[in-house]
Amino acid sequence: MPTVSMTVNGKSVSADVESRTLLVQFLREHLALTGTHVGCDTSQCGACVVHVNGVSAKSCTMLAIQADGADVATIEGLDDNGTLHPMQEAFRDNHGLQCGFCTPGMVMSALDLVKNNPSPSEQDVREWLEGNICRCTGYHNIVKAIQAGAAAMRG
Amino acid sequence: MEYGRPTELDEALALLAGGRRTILAGGTDLYPAIAAAALPGDILDIGAIAGLRGIVEGAEAWRIGAGTTWTDLARATLPAAFNALKQAALEIGSVQIQNTATIVGNLCNASPAADGVPALLILDAQLELQSAEKTRHLPLKDFILGVRKTARRSNELVTAIVLPKRAVSGRSDFQKLGARRYLVISIAMVAARIAVEDDRISEAALAIGSCSAVAQRLSSLESDLVGRRIGPALAEHICAAAVATHVAPIADIRGSAEYRTHAAAELLRRAVANAAGTA
Ligand SMILES: Cc1cc2nc3c(=O)[nH]c(=O)nc-3n(C[C@H](O)[C@H](O)[C@H](O)COP(=O)(O)OP(=O)(O)OC[C@H]3O[C@@H](n4cnc5c(N)ncnc54)[C@H](O)[C@@H]3O)c2cc1C
Ligand code: FES
Ligand code: FES
Repeated sequence: MPTVSMTVNGKSVSADVESRTLLVQFLREHLALTGTHVGCDTSQCGACVVHVNGVSAKSCTMLAIQADGADVATIEGLDDNGTLHPMQEAFRDNHGLQCGFCTPGMVMSALDLVKNNPSPSEQDVREWLEGNICRCTGYHNIVKAIQAGAAAMRG
Repeated sequence: MEYGRPTELDEALALLAGGRRTILAGGTDLYPAIAAAALPGDILDIGAIAGLRGIVEGAEAWRIGAGTTWTDLARATLPAAFNALKQAALEIGSVQIQNTATIVGNLCNASPAADGVPALLILDAQLELQSAEKTRHLPLKDFILGVRKTARRSNELVTAIVLPKRAVSGRSDFQKLGARRYLVISIAMVAARIAVEDDRISEAALAIGSCSAVAQRLSSLESDLVGRRIGPALAEHICAAAVATHVAPIADIRGSAEYRTHAAAELLRRAVANAAGTA
């Protein structure tokens, strides 16, 4: 079994895994980082979005070994010693979730958006969320939350 | 089963010379195809070969390396002849897919619905194939042989897409029809590249995908358009009958043959109008 090493939320991790192990399985099953969810088996829902070397990727559509040597960020790494990240806070303030299943992926996608576009319009947010599906909220409050989160991050 | 992830091209070619391997670039086509099953035999993962990534303008041609992602392309500053390819980039899955998926992977996967193919056919794209022994070039139209079939030999890696500069002229446009706006397999898609001189079309390149096993250029319609004055009247020459002389569209769950022919003609009218700047 190949050894896979990467940095996850700032910590170096290393494990022997079967080559077919998906990045999402590695995060959830080997590292017990279960904040990254799996909502489909067709790469469509976006519940599994993490950042790999600073850009958003679907961790269900990538092998763990493809991320060998990479810097990976998951939802668990966002808070600052228990203080929510401004984007997480914005989801709470704006009621941007109901069941919460899609939320980790939404937040990670939103952060990649803000990095590319610090002040996204409603249309920008809706287009960017093409790969993130929510079956509860109807998206309205998610869009509001992301715009509010972006504003909070601009300071 | 062995998983190879070299950092140099030479090592990758040596691995391919040693026996058949499944090549993995972004893995976005490969992974859903195998789902949770075991990986198909030995793997060559080219994702760590830094030298394969990037778009470079040379004296004679543009070169898109095999590691270049759709996001890399969408963010690059390129001439207007690339517009169709850039529009296609934004249609590939969602942002996260565009961040990992490669343009070359889209071609090598040889799906009839691959959005990159029509946009590259109109740029007279060639593929550069390298093995440990030699390098050869094949026009894209001769590379894709059928559904999921390419002319790549098992010891070869596609290392780049090469676009001759004479074809990088004018402006291009891409139009795609799917059953919904996002995350959808195309019913039909078209790409058009038009160069204009003194209000007349001096060059036309048109391609249709998702209607036949392999996307097609529409050579007789292209010649028919050359010399015509740009304007709304162009649309009259781009009709379903003209499309039908090039492709006999397939019928499947996403649309009948007749629907596809009409849809493709309408997409072409829009793409030509946009590319000619008369929309
Ligand atoms: C949710 C989702 C939505 C999608 N939507 C679209 C869409 O709208 N339009 C569309 O066209 N596609 C779509 N795709 C398909 C896919 O993302 C693209 O075709 C992508 O460009 C493939 O690139 P890749 O690097 O991931 O290829 P991989 O999966 O790594 O490889 C694809 C194939 O090409 C071969 N290959 C890759 N690189 C090379 C090389 N250098 N030399 C030789 N062989 C090679 C592989 O062996 C494999 O057979 C979608 C996929 C997903 C998961
Ligand atoms: S789990 Fe649905 S896209 Fe990854
Ligand atoms: S809040 Fe339930 S899926 Fe989005």
